[in-house]
Amino acid sequence: MTTGTAVRTAARVVDAVKVYGSGDTEVRALDGVGVDFPAGRFTAIMGPSGSGKSTLLHCAAGLDSLSSGAAFIGGTELGTLDDRRLTLLRRDRIGFVFQAFNLVPTLTVAENITLPMDLAGTRADREAAEWIATLVDIVGLRDRLHHRPAELSGGQQQRVAVARAFASRPEVVFADEPTGNLDSRSGEEVLGLLGRAVRERGRTVVMVTHDPVAAAHADEVVFLADGRLVDRMPAPSAERVLDRLKAFDARASKEVSS
Amino acid sequence: MSAAGASARLSLASLRAHKRRFAGTFLAVLLGVSFLAGTLVMGDTLRAGFDTMFGDATRGTDAVVRSADTVTTPGESQGVRSPVPTSLAARIERVPEVAAAVARIEGAGQLVGKNGEPVGGQGPPTLAGNWITDPVLNPYRLAEGRAPSRTGEVVVNRGAAQRGGLRIGDTTTLRTPDPVKVRLVGLARFGGEDGMAQVTYTGMTVGDAQKYLTPRPGEAASIQVRAGPGTGQRELVEALTPVLPKGVEAITGQESAEENTEMISGQFLTLFTTFLLVFSGVALLVATFSIHNTFAIVVAQRSRENALLRALGASRRQVTAATLTEAGAVAVAASLTGLLGGIGIAAGLQALFPAIGFPFPEGELVISGVSLWLPVAVGVLVCLASAALPALRAGRTAPLAALRETAVDTSGASRARARTGAALGLAAVAATLTGVLLTPSLWLAGLGAVLALAAFVVLGPVAATTAVRVLGAPLDRLRGLTGRLARRNALRSPKRTAATAGALMIGVAVVSLFTVFGASLKATMNQSVDRSFAGDVAVSTPSFGAGGSGLSPRLAPALAERPEVATAVGLGRGVAEVDGRGRALTVTDPAALARTFHLGTVRGDLSALGTRGIALAAPEAEKAGLEPGSRTRLTFTDGSRETFTVRAVYDRSELVGDYVLTREAWAPHRAQDADTLVAVTFAEGVDQEAGSAAVEEVAARYGNPEVQTRGEYAESAAGGIDMMLTLVYALLALAVLIALLGIANTLTLAIHERGRELGLLRAVGQTRAQLRAMVRWESVLVAAFGTAGGLGLGGFLGWVLVAASDGASESAFAFALPPGRLLVVALVGLAAGALAGLRPARRAARLNVLGAIAAE
Repeated sequence: MTTGTAVRTAARVVDAVKVYGSGDTEVRALDGVGVDFPAGRFTAIMGPSGSGKSTLLHCAAGLDSLSSGAAFIGGTELGTLDDRRLTLLRRDRIGFVFQAFNLVPTLTVAENITLPMDLAGTRADREAAEWIATLVDIVGLRDRLHHRPAELSGGQQQRVAVARAFASRPEVVFADEPTGNLDSRSGEEVLGLLGRAVRERGRTVVMVTHDPVAAAHADEVVFLADGRLVDRMPAPSAERVLDRLKAFDARASKEVSS
Repeated sequence: MSAAGASARLSLASLRAHKRRFAGTFLAVLLGVSFLAGTLVMGDTLRAGFDTMFGDATRGTDAVVRSADTVTTPGESQGVRSPVPTSLAARIERVPEVAAAVARIEGAGQLVGKNGEPVGGQGPPTLAGNWITDPVLNPYRLAEGRAPSRTGEVVVNRGAAQRGGLRIGDTTTLRTPDPVKVRLVGLARFGGEDGMAQVTYTGMTVGDAQKYLTPRPGEAASIQVRAGPGTGQRELVEALTPVLPKGVEAITGQESAEENTEMISGQFLTLFTTFLLVFSGVALLVATFSIHNTFAIVVAQRSRENALLRALGASRRQVTAATLTEAGAVAVAASLTGLLGGIGIAAGLQALFPAIGFPFPEGELVISGVSLWLPVAVGVLVCLASAALPALRAGRTAPLAALRETAVDTSGASRARARTGAALGLAAVAATLTGVLLTPSLWLAGLGAVLALAAFVVLGPVAATTAVRVLGAPLDRLRGLTGRLARRNALRSPKRTAATAGALMIGVAVVSLFTVFGASLKATMNQSVDRSFAGDVAVSTPSFGAGGSGLSPRLAPALAERPEVATAVGLGRGVAEVDGRGRALTVTDPAALARTFHLGTVRGDLSALGTRGIALAAPEAEKAGLEPGSRTRLTFTDGSRETFTVRAVYDRSELVGDYVLTREAWAPHRAQDADTLVAVTFAEGVDQEAGSAAVEEVAARYGNPEVQTRGEYAESAAGGIDMMLTLVYALLALAVLIALLGIANTLTLAIHERGRELGLLRAVGQTRAQLRAMVRWESVLVAAFGTAGGLGLGGFLGWVLVAASDGASESAFAFALPPGRLLVVALVGLAAGALAGLRPARRAARLNVLGAIAAE
């Protein structure tokens, strides 16, 4: 699948508002954000610290609830689901890659990869088994399948996490600073994997990052500032992203000085 | 600010911050201390209550005149005294210092209640006597109605009347053991209570008492004497002594009261409190495990914090002291609360006992200094000792650990541990086998048991990995990923799992030890009946305690007259000193005895005993060097000495007893006549039903004692065992509860550790129900490990106890493993594990997913 076809939306938020605290301590982490994450695309969310990018990801992925507005996965509005349905939706329709602590230490690599399916109690059919075998080869961990996470390097662990995120062929994979804890080479590998999954396999990835180099792997970057969507940048490059971010900083410092 | 002040402030601050973590420790100490304090206070209160009761009841008696000689048989606390002549009362009354002297006749008399069931008889004695008309000398006081004045009229203590549903004016039967028709005319109280504990008392006219309770008229148990004005108790005794015949003594009323109190508080109460103290010891031992585990985990979880303190310049000692101070603060708070709880328990029992028909002497709670400081000291000591090792480990934290990720001690068992454990285990087996098989010795066997316990505790972490893997194997198939996760979580820290399970293991081990021992005792009884009882039915009295009034000696002859009955032989009890040592005698018809009991090989002739012959069991004969034909001297309670010839030596004494005498030989020395067992064989061709019916018909005329088949007889002989086991189970419930608190606490701490992992699981789709199940199953697995270990250890200890008892005594002990009961123990252990997991599981499920993932 390539860009330019009729675009289906994998996930979206509408008028998303997230307020923490109340009164004097009230913080509006999201202040009326509306954004679509198209299927089959790799979208990066960027913004300065405190811009609400992580909150947006958590709310879009059903890990957190919105104060007002709506979040959708496909056609399902997350706000209408109780905890159990939301859990099942995460299990069956969403994949996750976190910054750290992505694996269950007591399970082997293979078990970690199939964790969501095992939680669902579904027996892998042939197609699923082939897909997982392909994934294992893509992430290059065939010889580590029976190791425990503690026996792997940080980069290897994150590659396992990527494999797990795609294992049940979810509608969308959310990645929260997936390279934050890695050295640049391991980070590059992980980003490469995410990119390949989108371009070669038609998967959908939404990634929060603060690293312009990481964002450059995406098909599009959306910029957040002060809880609002401020810009979108298709076909980003690290330089352009960096420039855009500098503009925020300049504006922020201008605001401070004025 | 002093350094000690700094560590104290640190530990108190940490306590405040982590109150929940110590909730389990707090509760464990609290429960153990409550039990201990409650036992001590209750014991003292009961003792004081009985003192007051006897003091009140016998205040009017200034001296007691009684026979000086007693014969005490092994295993019996009180000796048997011969009677004194009632005529002595008249002679005593002529002494100028004496105001009044009354003969007190006492024997066994068991009332039959409104429902036809006997009242009492399952332990405490059922007494009957003459109603002493001098109200000052009578320990019983009329509460309602009047004293008996005509034959057949009786006064009964109010407690017994209530239990039998009897009211004034009712007519019922008194078994003495011959049934006597009596009419209730009055109700009595004893020392301000409705009775002397559970003892039942029936007061009759002097005539009736002489007729039914003594073998010959003119005999009394003692003479109660009241002094005239101005005469002290001691003076009275001195005045009495010259007029007393040889072999009769006078003691002061106070001494007599003290003897009575001693009989109850010295023996019954001491036994009772010791028993309870042992179980509070078990509870505290279990608590030790839980507390140690809690501190070990807390110290591990806090290693970064401690390392930071070390890096900032705190000395090892300060860090250790901070942890110990924390333990001390928890211990003191919990022990003091426990002390209050214990006093509360004692007060509650004091209020509860009368409500369930057990008269608990009234009066203030007696709280001695010992009951105050001992439980608190024990609680604090247990807590500090349990926390000592973790505290030392805290002190040893390297400052560099501050920079590392907090690590859970996942190391398995060290080789040294395995070696030590194996050595202990081998030593245990060696000591036990030597003590049980080679040179029977309870001490060696006991040492083996202690070593076995130590080996189990040391080997726990070694076994944990394998045990959890094996026990949890079915989980994978049953519960899929949830089960697999639960199993691996339980395997994470073998030491922790072993320590957590260890507490439950000890509880379950003690439970199964008693279960196995109880079942073995029953099996032993069954075996005895199987091997020795040749009869078809038995009529027996309860074997536990005094056994009521026994059976009429006329029952056996009456039964023998029935055509359905071939042989009916009654066995009565007697005592005498044989060659200077007190011995229980079996008084019976020796010739018939051989037809209803398998006596094994009999040397000599059982039918030739006559009035000067005795038969005895082979082991006793061997010990005393007696053979058929040799002579031995018997001294009876009445002081008479007679030479008896051994006429027969028999092999099996299980049901029959060690010394057998004819009724004729016993008659001159007898007290109130009663048989304890009548064995019946049916005539040829009589089936069980017809035979039993015939026996029952006859028995109905003799106070209607229960007619038992062989099986029922064996069961009733073991009747006290189940009661004992129930009590033991109830007492051990506390230890098991503490163990469960330990499991719950460990799990809660573990969940706290695994917060991020749980968050991850929830994020990728583990439902709350799955998470709860995962935690619960982990709890069940740990409990299963503890239960399995406990069953193994308890079974082994049970075997040791039975085998050692077998070796140490002459009668054969049978070993039995009751599968049903042990299965119940196992299931209770597992269910308890599931229960312990409930709260941690709920807490884990409430975890905020985002908060858990975002942490650090």
